Amino acid sequence: MASDGTADDSVKLQILKDALYDEIKQHGSETRLFTQKDLLDLNIIPNNNVLLLVRVVQGLTDDKLLVGTTNHHAGLAWRWRSREEAKKYTSLPNDETVMVYSIIDEAGADGIWNRTIKNKLNMHEAVVKNCIKFLETKGYIASMKNVEHPNKKMYIKATLRPSERATGGPWFTEGELDTAFISELEGIVFEYIKTKSAYRGSHPHAGGGPASSSTSATKLPKKGTVTAATAAPDTTTTTTARGTKRSATELSTDDTSSPAPTRSSHKPRAVFMPMPAGYKHYPTVAEIAKFIHDTGITNNTTLGEADIQQLVDVLTYDGLIESVRVGRRRGYRVTRAMKQDTVPFHKRQKEREAGVGLDQPLVAGAEPLSNGLTEAPCGRCPVFELCEEGGPVSPSNCVYFLKWLDLEDLPAAVAPNVALPT
Amino acid sequence: MLVTKPVADLCALLIDELHGELPSRIFAILLSKGRSTLPQLVQYTSMTPRQLRHGLAVLQQHNLLFYHVDPGAEFAFYEANAEHAYNLVRTGKILEMIDSSFGAPAKDVMQNLLLSGQTRISDLVAAYQEKIEQANKEAAHVEDDDDFGAEKNGVNGDSHPGKKAGPLVKSTAHLNSIICRLVEAELIDVVHAKTFESSQDILKTVEKEVMDKYFPAGVKGNKAKVEVQERIAEGLRKVRGESKSLKRKLEQNGTAAKRRKLFAGAGMSNGSHDEDMDPALDPRQVIRINYEKCLVDLRNRRLVQFATDIFGETSAYVYGVLLKLLTKDIPRCRADAAMDFGEDKEESEKDTVSVTTDQILDNLKTSVDLSLGIGKAERRQVSSVAAEKIELFPPKKKLLIEEAEVEGEASADEDEDNESSDESEYDSDYKAPTANGTNGVNGTNGAKVKFDESAAPKERRLDRPTQLRQHLLMLAESTQRFVRHCGPNEWTVDFVPLMNALREVELDSVIERTCGRQGLRLVRILRAKGKLDEKALPNVALMRKPELQQKMLEMQTAGFVHVQEVPRDLKADVKKSFFLWFCDVDRSLSRLLDTSYTTMTHCIQVLEALRQKERDVLETTKRSDVRGREKDTMRKEYYERYSRFLECERKLFAQVMRVDDLVSVLRDF
Ligand code: SF4
Repeated sequence: MASDGTADDSVKLQILKDALYDEIKQHGSETRLFTQKDLLDLNIIPNNNVLLLVRVVQGLTDDKLLVGTTNHHAGLAWRWRSREEAKKYTSLPNDETVMVYSIIDEAGADGIWNRTIKNKLNMHEAVVKNCIKFLETKGYIASMKNVEHPNKKMYIKATLRPSERATGGPWFTEGELDTAFISELEGIVFEYIKTKSAYRGSHPHAGGGPASSSTSATKLPKKGTVTAATAAPDTTTTTTARGTKRSATELSTDDTSSPAPTRSSHKPRAVFMPMPAGYKHYPTVAEIAKFIHDTGITNNTTLGEADIQQLVDVLTYDGLIESVRVGRRRGYRVTRAMKQDTVPFHKRQKEREAGVGLDQPLVAGAEPLSNGLTEAPCGRCPVFELCEEGGPVSPSNCVYFLKWLDLEDLPAAVAPNVALPT
Repeated sequence: MLVTKPVADLCALLIDELHGELPSRIFAILLSKGRSTLPQLVQYTSMTPRQLRHGLAVLQQHNLLFYHVDPGAEFAFYEANAEHAYNLVRTGKILEMIDSSFGAPAKDVMQNLLLSGQTRISDLVAAYQEKIEQANKEAAHVEDDDDFGAEKNGVNGDSHPGKKAGPLVKSTAHLNSIICRLVEAELIDVVHAKTFESSQDILKTVEKEVMDKYFPAGVKGNKAKVEVQERIAEGLRKVRGESKSLKRKLEQNGTAAKRRKLFAGAGMSNGSHDEDMDPALDPRQVIRINYEKCLVDLRNRRLVQFATDIFGETSAYVYGVLLKLLTKDIPRCRADAAMDFGEDKEESEKDTVSVTTDQILDNLKTSVDLSLGIGKAERRQVSSVAAEKIELFPPKKKLLIEEAEVEGEASADEDEDNESSDESEYDSDYKAPTANGTNGVNGTNGAKVKFDESAAPKERRLDRPTQLRQHLLMLAESTQRFVRHCGPNEWTVDFVPLMNALREVELDSVIERTCGRQGLRLVRILRAKGKLDEKALPNVALMRKPELQQKMLEMQTAGFVHVQEVPRDLKADVKKSFFLWFCDVDRSLSRLLDTSYTTMTHCIQVLEALRQKERDVLETTKRSDVRGREKDTMRKEYYERYSRFLECERKLFAQVMRVDDLVSVLRDF
């Protein structure tokens, strides 16, 4: 009778277990925590019999179908686990492996560091290693990289994809910031904004490349602009010097590196021009995102508007573009439109592949502005802080100035073996 | 002006360069020891009083010295005028500016004034008289027509402008009229008793006067304090006004000035007007160059350059004309806190100075094609409401990167809706390229002039006022706020925020040139976001951590960014602390300023070293039989060395002035 009773009991228990399990699954996802009261309120256990509930829950826990946790707010509570997962647990050979697997399981999409596993379980390193090896060969877990801790060996359940936090989002490839991808995309986005926010027209001035300064203002009067210098020979103004200096560099780049048609002095030459005030079609982030999507450059990464915004912000911080608000529309436009290269960025890239223009850095946007300080050797001097008349480095024995003044050849003997600033 | 060591060194060098070693040494001593009396100077320098007096006289002559005599005191106190000493570096620039806006003869006069310091008008006239006579005697074969004053000036390198036949200044009447015009433009003012007192001394005197006169019983209460300040400001303004006495006198004869303007156009010279119309100047007046006003004009030039960098030449030209009109009556770049107390209030009550579109139009050269330099857009692509927005008041604070703005983005069509309803109201003001037919619109009265449609040119052309407005509106829309559209067809410039923007641009270009674009990126992120934890930076900047850290350290050494340590707990364990990066623009700028001074000093020192090296060559060129005919008389090898030296000298001085452009922006504009 007694044995019959127990057999009967176990059958009854099994029925209750199945019923409770199914009901729990109805009430929430795998992450939901059920307290004892929640379980009783499911109305599976007759008469709200707590003892019976405890036995049923214990049975389910043994089957790995329920996971017990202690929660700060609710006390003891349980989550459910799918039958396939539970089967994985029950198929594991020993307790250690189960423990290791469950701790990895708990870590979820963020993954867990093998050192943490060892410390948490307080097991010997070799044991943990064995377990991990076993689980890996079974295909239950996989190793992963976390961008925040690139040097740590991390593990994650094989069925999960690493979280954004762990992968670092679309800008990361295998835990590394993909700077090549980013700069390529920056170039494309910049090119798009440039062509959409400035007017491509021709300028009747004969002149140097897009970076040339206003030295060739033939039609403009002398007032105001820098051309007036020629009339004042005895003042030896900055502007003349700058003019000649510029054109000299311009010439040399033309000769050596840039057979591109726009760089040679065609007249009229193509230039970008700023748009009139109130222009309503400066591209917005949404438009840029759509353009990027349509080009399909990012085939295996999906970029949301927030990602594009991040990129656009970086370009803004770089000073290449600026945001404009016209009415209620916030668009972006290129800065210093007149100074932009009219040859598209990707063409320049092609040219470089063909070996043209390699001596010039390929960067999006116009050449940065300069001023008296950046042009003088001192502005870029590595020993500026030490330099003083009477000291070991001084203006009177300065090699950088000799180079700058094209006098290098004279006192070749004094030149120390310090790299010149470039 | 804050006198730091770099600027003190530089000033001493400049004076050495222009006025010789003796004044330079005295000046350096005065800078380092502060105001001193003659006996004190004797002690500091171990020079004889005779030598000292001689040096002081030179300094005095060039307005490089302040002095102050306490009533009843035996000795005067001398004090270095570092500001004017620094201004020496601007000599060339000022001359060039005068040349381009007043013509070569005016430049010649100004140059003489610069070389000889403050001068009595009669002396100037006499010198010119002599020259003119001599020139007439030598007829057309004049060689050296402006060898007036000792040409110790190193800035004036090689040749003289007067290769044309005849002197630049043709008669004393011509000279008189040139001076008149420079005085009217405030570029020259009058020396008076207080000119040689430092501003502190003047302030003290005025303060004392005010207290004695109005508040013999002392000051009580806030209201009285404000009144004191106002009275002091008034007194200071009166002192300042004294140097403008000559200008006022000229203005009383206003008719002449106006008539002349009618004939010759503003700022046009070339002797086309009748010189006899100018009143004769009192020959006893002592005149000097007014650097404050010169700086205003130099600032205009710098801003035009800035606009060229951002927008291109045509818009910048328009901007230059606007600035010239706008600043005609602006006496100085920066208001003086003590002096302009109370004046500010009046200023904002009466409207800010502005220029109308028509005024600008009247002053544009007809040769300038305004259709250049601005993109073309279909009419429907342009929101005239947004473009024509009128801002009555200057911006409250600068918004360089408009991060603070709320992102209230509306869908584009909604925008369009409210546009179309408003559009009609603005039709009379703004003409975008319409399909065919050009509507000529007169900016002021809005009367439309319809052209025969068939006669309209195929090419969609805008009329000139509209083109001009396009440039102005574009300048107004810029993020740098070049112009403020402060009323229908009225334009003004808010110099303070604009110059702040320019200062940041200068700083940015130094950062970009020295630390690369990524360095600039990081700095601008910090500027926009305030203080940031090191861990938050890579994500915003999209840079790898190690590279980023290296960049930050590099920039910290250069003084572009700063770091603050915030301990996590009371123990202040360094390993656990947060490190917050931030950038303090003002700190970076003042460091930049010192770097600039030092750079200028280095340029001059390099030049000095070169002079030492080429001593033998330079000696030869000083010989009277060689001078002026270097090419023919010197040996080939020597001549080559000489011309190479001249080239270097030119380059170095040019560089000094380029750096000065930066200093002006950082400190004076
Ligand atoms: S070593 Fe030369 S470049 Fe460097 S700070 Fe001195 S003078 Fe300038």
